[in-house]
Amino acid sequence: MSYFESFDALLAHCLDNHCSIVDAALESESQEQDLSVELLFQKVSVLVQQMEETIKSGIDSSDPSMSGLSGGDAKKLMAYMDAENNVLSPMAIRLMAYGIATLEENSRMRKIVACPTAGGSGSVAATLIALEHERGMSRKQTTQGLITAGCIGEIVSRRMHLSGAAAGCQAEVGVASGMAAGGMVEAFGGTPEQVLHAAAISMQNLMGLICDPVAGLVEVPCVVRNGLSSVQAVSSATMALAGIQSYIPIDEVVDAMAQVGRLMPRQLKETAEGGLATTPTGQTFANQFFKMSQTPL
Amino acid sequence: MSPSFFDIVGPVMVGPSSSHTAGAVRLAQLALLIAGRKVVDVEFILYNSFARTYKGHGTDRGLIAGLLGYGVDDERIRDAYEWAEKESLSFKMTLDEKPNNYSPNTVKFVMTLDDEEKLVVVGHSIGGGKVYVSRLNHYNVSLKGEMPTLIMFYKDQPGMIWRVTKVIAEQGVNIASLTCSRGKRGVEAFMSICLDTALYPEQVAEINQISDVYIVRSMDKLSS
Repeated sequence: MSYFESFDALLAHCLDNHCSIVDAALESESQEQDLSVELLFQKVSVLVQQMEETIKSGIDSSDPSMSGLSGGDAKKLMAYMDAENNVLSPMAIRLMAYGIATLEENSRMRKIVACPTAGGSGSVAATLIALEHERGMSRKQTTQGLITAGCIGEIVSRRMHLSGAAAGCQAEVGVASGMAAGGMVEAFGGTPEQVLHAAAISMQNLMGLICDPVAGLVEVPCVVRNGLSSVQAVSSATMALAGIQSYIPIDEVVDAMAQVGRLMPRQLKETAEGGLATTPTGQTFANQFFKMSQTPL
Repeated sequence: MSPSFFDIVGPVMVGPSSSHTAGAVRLAQLALLIAGRKVVDVEFILYNSFARTYKGHGTDRGLIAGLLGYGVDDERIRDAYEWAEKESLSFKMTLDEKPNNYSPNTVKFVMTLDDEEKLVVVGHSIGGGKVYVSRLNHYNVSLKGEMPTLIMFYKDQPGMIWRVTKVIAEQGVNIASLTCSRGKRGVEAFMSICLDTALYPEQVAEINQISDVYIVRSMDKLSS
């Protein structure tokens, strides 16, 4: 999809050719990879399949992570779905549980699909698979959603590095939620403009998000954050489908995010030198954990 | 190279970190490609963030698994210690926390191969599973595993590049980039050549037979 240097160029291509973003992305990527569109679609659907397998195994497991810092929360949420006091829809509960399940599997050293990174892998997976399970969306539709999500992430990655170390969590979970929001609009058959508004709305809401992992591990706050980010992705997509537009065009939102990433102090960019990582509780865990880590084999 | 869809969505990988786990696996895979044969003993020297957080991120397991030839999605990564024993790879993990100029996620592989050749490789994981090797023995190199690559040590003297590239040209293979680095004038130099397609084994053998070429390795690109 190297053809599209900006979202503006992508949108112009879609309008000129009366095509959707997923069609534009497939055509461009199939040229780039020298693969047929059918084979490419098949390869992407395998990734959707893996996302579902990760989620299924995650919501069934109470196992702790390798460090012992997380694990078992997805299962708790699924059990809460029918609780008397639950005010959220089953869809919202599923979104949170699936995002958490993905990150919990990640920290158990089980298989996940990085999207765009391992630490941000919950948003897109939870959104697409919850749409399948709760709304009966077809695998074809969610695969189209994933292709669009990937296309969004790719264009963003031309303007900023997608890593917490480079630009904070906004570059991982923030971008992931933009990808998820756009992917959901595509799966619902929204217009290319709606896809981009959804992504822009979602990313501006998570702009500025810092990366402050306790003990440097991809667990606290990453696990719950992935659970919540899929809900806000679906909310952003819903806004766009209702006709709400992002006042700031998406290309400018991305440039702003890259600028915020540059302005962000290094203590808040995956170094575990600020935020939750330096709270007394975070520090206590980190000290214990490092003591364990330093013990030679 | 321009980013591809599958750089953004994917890889399918064993967690928890694309830089500290998948990156570690890929770096070790790259070291194995450079070695070109079974590694029987290795010391992993970890620096900076790798040294501080390797256990929680499974960097140690990833490095072992990669040297055994396992991929980033191989669930044997979790049990890499047991697999190392089964496949008779002896290893040692050393933490070097002295200040250095290396990038955050750096590891040095001090390897002994099955023919007792020694090889030292320094590699870096730079995010999203992307990696590169910056040093091979005492040469500064830049090996990324993105393309089939020919690497060789040879006697430093006039005409060596011509002799090698002639063989490549005869097979009709296009050279994407070529880098040379001299160890000691008139004694030894190093060359790496990135190719659009891999050479046939016969051509590799032909290059190996050029007089004063000491060691040649034909590396595939890293599987994604």
